[in-house]
Amino acid sequence: MTRRTPLVSAAAMAGLGIVLLAHVGAEPRLLASSPSSAGGGSGNASSRGGSSSSGSSVSGTASGALEQYGYGELAVKLTVQKGRIVSATVTGLRTADTYSQQIAAQVIPMLRKEVLAAQSAKISGISGATYTCSAYATSVQSALDKLHLK
Amino acid sequence: MTFEPATRPARSSGRRAPEARPAPPPRPRLLDAALVVVGLGFGATVGSTIIVETSSQLQAPGGVAMFLGNLTGMAGTYLALVMVLLVSRIPHIERILGQDGLLRWHRRLSPWPISLIVAHAILLTYAYAEASHSGLLAQLASFVSSYSGMLIAIIGLGFMVLAAVLSIYSVRRRLRRETWWAIHLGMYLALALAFSHELALGPSFVGHPVTQALWSIAWAATAGVVLAYRFGLPAYRTLRYRLKVVEVRRETEDVVSLILEGRNLDRLAVSGGQFFEWRFLTSKLWWQAHPYSLSARPKPPYLRLTVKAVGDHSSALAALAPGTKVAIEGPYGAFTTHARRRQKAAIICGGIGITAARALLEDLPKKSDPAVAWRVSTEEHAALAGEVEELVRRRRGTLHVVAGNREDVSLHRVARLVPDLRQRDVFVCGPESFVESMRQVLVGEGVPAEAVHYEVYAL
Repeated sequence: MTRRTPLVSAAAMAGLGIVLLAHVGAEPRLLASSPSSAGGGSGNASSRGGSSSSGSSVSGTASGALEQYGYGELAVKLTVQKGRIVSATVTGLRTADTYSQQIAAQVIPMLRKEVLAAQSAKISGISGATYTCSAYATSVQSALDKLHLK
Repeated sequence: MTFEPATRPARSSGRRAPEARPAPPPRPRLLDAALVVVGLGFGATVGSTIIVETSSQLQAPGGVAMFLGNLTGMAGTYLALVMVLLVSRIPHIERILGQDGLLRWHRRLSPWPISLIVAHAILLTYAYAEASHSGLLAQLASFVSSYSGMLIAIIGLGFMVLAAVLSIYSVRRRLRRETWWAIHLGMYLALALAFSHELALGPSFVGHPVTQALWSIAWAATAGVVLAYRFGLPAYRTLRYRLKVVEVRRETEDVVSLILEGRNLDRLAVSGGQFFEWRFLTSKLWWQAHPYSLSARPKPPYLRLTVKAVGDHSSALAALAPGTKVAIEGPYGAFTTHARRRQKAAIICGGIGITAARALLEDLPKKSDPAVAWRVSTEEHAALAGEVEELVRRRRGTLHVVAGNREDVSLHRVARLVPDLRQRDVFVCGPESFVESMRQVLVGEGVPAEAVHYEVYAL
């Protein structure tokens, strides 16, 4: 019993040390990456209902691609019922710094309202958050594509 | 020494019945290895939240709360995973610490995950509200509407806090076992509900597929271990041994022995002093499992447990009909002769604790010179006295039975009935209060703590 506490503590320090050492020298990836919309890859879709042509009877949920936008990355998940977008939630959000985090936290609820109102990815930007808005819109569009909507 | 049912005497054929096998010995190195892995995991979990942090993030307003919120969330959830593993009945670990030892660790750890996770929720709501220049309530609403997995995570937190509040202030002493069990199911549900928001929003995971994979594997493996050892293995053993009651034998006024018959019992590895969680499949009792020790080593095809009527469940057992099917979980417990460190052994027991002692005595070799001290309330309550006497006599040991309650017979007097107490391994069994007090008495008498072996039937 008595020698077990030091054993666990030493292992914990070792685990911490290994992770920190492995990180030393590694570039902050987010800041280095350029705005892009790789599309494809990540995310998954599941949809039920009729085929895409009319669009009106599509129901389902799809996660949009994780979009990198220079100050961070985000992904949006859409839920569609009978062709209408009923929810848009962020499934991945990481920012390079707190200022970007503040902007993201501020604009994400606004962007959600815009998507629900416009029923598409065609949303007007919000000044001061151009990259965040465009990443949000791109991710929404990739989710719509997966659902074969618009 | 036999306990075959009266209605079916031992088979008269000259062949000896097959012996039951003893439980495999514990391997303490495995525990050390497991603790190293758990420690490494904790360090890496904490480290993963530190390396994604940047100094500009920390310096901005709300940044420190954001960082601490992530850190407490990760550390608390990791410790919750450890708590789940502690009660997952992994046989290799259970053999070393015993069920009661694991539950003690589980209980000692329990305040940490809950307080860290509550701190996480408060810190991050505050930090996000700061970041978006909104109030705490507005921020909560935005969490639910705009972020994936947050609604169910908040519901999960509700379950967790409810379960914790019900546990604090020893409320559990007044709760039925089954209620306590249901609350714990709520905890499992809470952890499952929280999982989605961890991967979707945790800074250690977003954009880090390797950390995501490791975290998912750790939780999937934990869930697998729980399912395998808490449900799969008991179900397998129940079906393999197909136990059923063949006789209910009255030992004293309030003690009965249940004799069970099963198949393949020569393959069941169990040592004297171990217990099972028994579930008697009648319409009234099937939903509750209770722990009772075997009161003798198995004699295939028979097993025996001996039970004192103290609660609803134990009282109902006297009325069981022969033929009742029995489901088992176990065997559990490290209260076996594997715990011995010295040549000579003593057993000190209070009241009905004799049932485990009786089975343990069977495993003690003659050279251990067993000394048994047993306190009973009255001579008439000394269940199994004849069997204990004969087992001690065959090993040329000593047996002292003293009658009287706590006021009449002090624990010191009971302990001093054992000759050269300090040179022996001392096995203590009986009601929880007896075991706790006797351990202190023994330490006071100069018995080293590592020579005192005991098991408390915890919930």
